[in-house]
Amino acid sequence: MVGVPPTPYGGILPADHPMGEGRATPDGGEIHSVSSGWRLALREFTDNRLAVLGLAILVFFLLFSFAGPLVYHGNTTISNPLVSNLAPGGGHPLGTDENGFDELARMMQGGQSAFEVGAFAALIAIVIGTLYGAVSGLAGGFLDGLMMRFVDVLLSIPFLFIVLVLATKYNGTVVEISLVLGVFSWLIPARLVRGEVLTLRERDFVAAARVMGGSRTRIVMRHLIPNAMSVTIVNVTFLIADSMLALAYLGALGFGLSYPHTSWGDMLGGALTYVQNGYWWLVYPVGACLVLVVLACNLVGDALRDALDVRLRRR
Amino acid sequence: MLAYIIRRLGVALLVTAGVAAISYALLHAIAPDPGYVALGTRSSRVAVAAWDKAHGYDRPELVQILDYIWDIARLHFGYSYKLNQSVGALLQENAGRSAYLSLASLVLALVIAVPLGIAQAVKRNSPGDYAVTTLNFILYSMPSFFLGIILIQFFALDWHLLPPLVSDQITSTWAAIIHPKQLLLPVVTLSAIQVASFSRYMRSSALDTLAEDYIRLARAKGLSERAVLTRHLLRNACLPMITLIGLSIPSLLAGNLLIEYIFNYPGLGLMFYTALGNLDYNVMLAYVVLGGMLTVLGNLIADVALTVADPRVRLD
Repeated sequence: MVGVPPTPYGGILPADHPMGEGRATPDGGEIHSVSSGWRLALREFTDNRLAVLGLAILVFFLLFSFAGPLVYHGNTTISNPLVSNLAPGGGHPLGTDENGFDELARMMQGGQSAFEVGAFAALIAIVIGTLYGAVSGLAGGFLDGLMMRFVDVLLSIPFLFIVLVLATKYNGTVVEISLVLGVFSWLIPARLVRGEVLTLRERDFVAAARVMGGSRTRIVMRHLIPNAMSVTIVNVTFLIADSMLALAYLGALGFGLSYPHTSWGDMLGGALTYVQNGYWWLVYPVGACLVLVVLACNLVGDALRDALDVRLRRR
Repeated sequence: MLAYIIRRLGVALLVTAGVAAISYALLHAIAPDPGYVALGTRSSRVAVAAWDKAHGYDRPELVQILDYIWDIARLHFGYSYKLNQSVGALLQENAGRSAYLSLASLVLALVIAVPLGIAQAVKRNSPGDYAVTTLNFILYSMPSFFLGIILIQFFALDWHLLPPLVSDQITSTWAAIIHPKQLLLPVVTLSAIQVASFSRYMRSSALDTLAEDYIRLARAKGLSERAVLTRHLLRNACLPMITLIGLSIPSLLAGNLLIEYIFNYPGLGLMFYTALGNLDYNVMLAYVVLGGMLTVLGNLIADVALTVADPRVRLD
């Protein structure tokens, strides 16, 4: 499964596909010891080398951003024109920017805001999306139609445009930007959860649970939510990646966080001037951090999708 | 078919009206006094109130929204009080250049991505396939403006092959067409991002098609590999691309925003960026609504085009 890129069908080829990897297994399939769904998913995930790489990158950058400032101290608050735009070396491993701030220390700050905004925005989106989708799917009928048409309309507004319009007023702090991003990212999760709820409602195991006298709460808590969860978990990682990218776009266009906070996008706002002046250290290290973290989120998301999709899983 | 298109057009109009209403309401919520923006923040309350009244901003919000929808329906996008011209004229002036940039990069992206995806599928799991997949994954995670900076660094600053920014010569769409060297970097940047997602889909679509019986038959009857790929595989594997192109029309406009900003290319994106800085109401609204219209239109065109190209798809 390693190295196989995702397909529009949500992962690798099905195991019984003529080109799939399961073609060598006998008709009945190989029988392993039975273990729980989550443990199987974990094994599937750790078998994927790219996923482990992505996870390692994320752990590294989490440590870099949040534990790094405890070890490495650099000036990020007091502007000093005497030491501005210094090349790497001599007490500044990655040089200084135009304010004389230490670039490495700023990068750690930028990492903190990237993870914070990514997590907050994804959390807001997933909470709104799950509630909205579940209500819509369970309600059905006219209300369902109305709620989904509203989602269609909102989905037709390009995300970046409306976020930029809102960011002209609400920018500067992590909370404000997370709210702006989160409030416009719940649409896809809502659709996914509604779709799951609609199919799960009609499945035999739910009917069986009902016939056996399971209460409504038990059906929702024990059967619907855990089964719809895999979709949301996968979506969270992509939401985090998208929110981090959106934060970078906002920052680069000048609608990001304000002093003393910063994001990697804010630091790249003047990138064109930097490369023209030859200040490469102000552009490429930050850009590499941004690309690596977003890449890692996407890798983990793809692997989670493969691992949690029971239909794609090898027994 | 005709009935289907008419019904879809009706839905499209409703959705566009919804987009206009929501965008207007949001902008109204974050900046309820357009008078302050038009007259300046130090203008007196009386002057602002008079201005708002003169331009209809003192009416109930719902009336303003309905009025705006009616304006949009007649393609009246209002007036830019910052630039002192109608937004319609601004759109007309910039839309051609933006469309040219989008179209050129879309064509370039397709010309690269389609053969690349097929080659990857034919030589699947080879080192070349892995290399392209890795590169695609990196490009997919890269903000477009950062890729633009990297290309400027190499092609303009280090090797002096191309101009780093689009010059003032580009005053019209025609000027953009006759100065291809000016546009090469923006077009390449925009298409590189698209190639990343297009070739990913093309690869998997070609993989599915390769497993079809008609491909085996074509091979079994002794057709050359070249004929199998160009005559039987290409056209079938390209079907999902139709949907993808339709869906990517609005993201082309969004991609333009960052690329036009980085390369200083005068198009709709740069217009929107300037409007954001000036809080130029009607221009901001017009760009968002235009994005919504293109999204709706892209979906519609993709669905209709797919039925024309693939008779197996039924509309109902």
